[in-house]
Amino acid sequence: MKIPIRYNLGSLWARRTSTLMAVLGIGFTVAILVTMMALVQGLDSTFVETGQENQLIVIRQGSQNEVNSYFSRELFPTVKFLPGVAKGQDGEPLIVGDNVVIINHERLDGHASNLMVRGTSVSGLALRPEAKLVQGRWFNRGLREICASQSLSKRFRNLALGDTIHFARSDWKVVGVFEAGGTAYDSEVWADYEEICQDWDRPSYSSVLLRAENAAAAQDIRKRIADDRRINLQAVSQKKYYADQTNTSVGIKALGYFIAVILGVGASFAAMNMMYGAVMTRSKEVATLRAIGFRKRNILGSFMMESVILGLAGGILGCLMALPLHGISSATANFQTFSEVLFNFRITPAIMMRGLLYSALVAVLGGYLPARRAARAKLIDIMR
Amino acid sequence: MKFLRLLFNNLLRNKRRTFLTLSSIAASLFLITTLLTVLHEMENPVSTPESALRVLTRHRVSLANILPMSYRAKIQHVEGVEAVVGAMWFGGVYKDPKNFFAQFGVDADQFFKVYADLQMPEDQKQAYIQDRLGAIAGNNLADRFGWKVGDKIPIQGALFDFPLELTLRGIYSGGSDDGSTLYFHWEYFNEGMKKLYGNGEGVNFTGFYTARVASAGRIPEVAEKIDAIFRNTSAPTKTESEKAFVLGFISMMGNIRMLVTSICSVVIFTIVLVAANTMAMSIRERVREIGILKALGFRKAQVLGLLLGESVLLAVVGALLGSLAARVIFSGARLSAATGGMLTRIQVTPAILALCAGIGLLVGIVSAGIPAWQAASRRVVEALREVD
Repeated sequence: MKIPIRYNLGSLWARRTSTLMAVLGIGFTVAILVTMMALVQGLDSTFVETGQENQLIVIRQGSQNEVNSYFSRELFPTVKFLPGVAKGQDGEPLIVGDNVVIINHERLDGHASNLMVRGTSVSGLALRPEAKLVQGRWFNRGLREICASQSLSKRFRNLALGDTIHFARSDWKVVGVFEAGGTAYDSEVWADYEEICQDWDRPSYSSVLLRAENAAAAQDIRKRIADDRRINLQAVSQKKYYADQTNTSVGIKALGYFIAVILGVGASFAAMNMMYGAVMTRSKEVATLRAIGFRKRNILGSFMMESVILGLAGGILGCLMALPLHGISSATANFQTFSEVLFNFRITPAIMMRGLLYSALVAVLGGYLPARRAARAKLIDIMR
Repeated sequence: MKFLRLLFNNLLRNKRRTFLTLSSIAASLFLITTLLTVLHEMENPVSTPESALRVLTRHRVSLANILPMSYRAKIQHVEGVEAVVGAMWFGGVYKDPKNFFAQFGVDADQFFKVYADLQMPEDQKQAYIQDRLGAIAGNNLADRFGWKVGDKIPIQGALFDFPLELTLRGIYSGGSDDGSTLYFHWEYFNEGMKKLYGNGEGVNFTGFYTARVASAGRIPEVAEKIDAIFRNTSAPTKTESEKAFVLGFISMMGNIRMLVTSICSVVIFTIVLVAANTMAMSIRERVREIGILKALGFRKAQVLGLLLGESVLLAVVGALLGSLAARVIFSGARLSAATGGMLTRIQVTPAILALCAGIGLLVGIVSAGIPAWQAASRRVVEALREVD
């Protein structure tokens, strides 16, 4: 016969100070892990959520991203008039060529960091529906105007609407602020393509973004570009291009696992201590349970249950403690593009489930030996 | 001190509990030590007497912008500059994009004057300088890929559209980069560019310049002079000390300090709870005993001291075990190979060990404080009346 859970709850309550401390201990551990997972999740989803289906990004063969790619302007028409490129409402192919550059600029906290500036065209905005204007207007050609993402304008100097920022050879006026739903574009400043080419003395493309009519057309365009030896370009699915950049979080992930293992060991030892204490103080009780007919496995199960209840309570508390971090924005360096990438901490139900599983695991590891000891105790020894 | 034996005996009374608490504290302090050391290494890049004399000159706009090769001679002529080399980031791929490491095309002729802190045999230096296709690698980098002098190192172009076919001519140690860089000849790089672009634009440039200044005190003055030369050109520069340059790079990684300090504080709080739980359990079992001590004439302060001493001993020993374990494990590990070059070195300093012992002391006092005070304040009669 199973020992009712009420018995465990009662026991935990009877030792409430001790219970509370163990719950808090596991709770803090889980809170740290949930925070680390939220950081990785936030950083990864910045990339994963960028890009549209059936869009291709064309970069130079051999380069890994826009920042280290460049190719001649003469190649643009070749790509533009490939069969299968979707047309916009005006009948023009949906394609935009960009020149991506990096500037070193001061943040509001005084430290300088690298920012990605995309020289692009207003006509290409249709290919980046992620970005929506929230203040001002889009930039015009010929006036040295730029638009910054809202997150950047809150993080860097001189990037708010109406500000003037000096970089390269010109003073640029911020005429618009956009918001890109937490995608990679939220870490970019947009300006006119021709003006960036002029200021950088680099009349070339870093990348060309185009929309294919459908998946089959996208496949066909990729093959055509790969097969054309003369142009030396490669086309990558835009989704895949950004998804590949999730390895920005590799270091943080490794750190997260390291912390999870070490703290897990510490926390399960602590839980074990607490459960041994519980088993010892209740040895007479256990003996009584055995005497009135409960079996060894019932005792084992009951103590394990008690440990898991304790662990899960800690897990729930830990998730709750970490929850206020959801949505907080932070930034790190994307070492592929050598520029700063902004992200928001994201706590998803899946992350909380993992936090709870972890707390249950700690409890099982910590509770097993004490529970076994309780179950194996010889009746006669205790009763005496 | 005459009570030390009593402290030990009390700790050994429940060996399992003591062991579990000790292990729990040690595991936590192992983590804290590791995090603090990594943070310390990041915030204090390796510095040698030589590296303190180096300044880096890069394009004002960003490191990604290039500088004309002609700048080298102009920087060389600045008063206070002893030697200068240009360095070009190649950013190529060795076998797999995951094998990331820094590759610089440098001016080999004066390279060892500017980077005098790189230690390698003289014959290797000469072999490198004389072989246009030669390269030298840091000891950690060579260890990561198992390179030996004489090995061929093919690097595919990523940033630039041509490959490098290098031969390893030497392996250096020391220096301020933890032996994690590959240096080859800038000439070789420029030839590759010439093959692609002819003699027009797009050749004869480099990424940044490193100059050796006569004395560290002259760095601000020299940096200002260098930047003044190029102020009104199409490629203005920014010159700063090597250390400032590296720190600027590291600050890009985000607020690591805040991440590490908040994790450490939460972990410390957690071990206080763990230790407090142990001490509370242990003291609760001994109320009668404490009553007897007091009946024998022990004063409240003495009883309190005994209990706190026990807790402090446990926490400090646990803390030191964890920290020392970190010191031993990381000093022996081949970190560069194990972490794909992300970490080259975790050296636990005596200061961090002392800090961890301090954390142990704090944890010991805070965790035993309340239960010890309660137990020591109990009236003898009450304590003796207590039954288990």
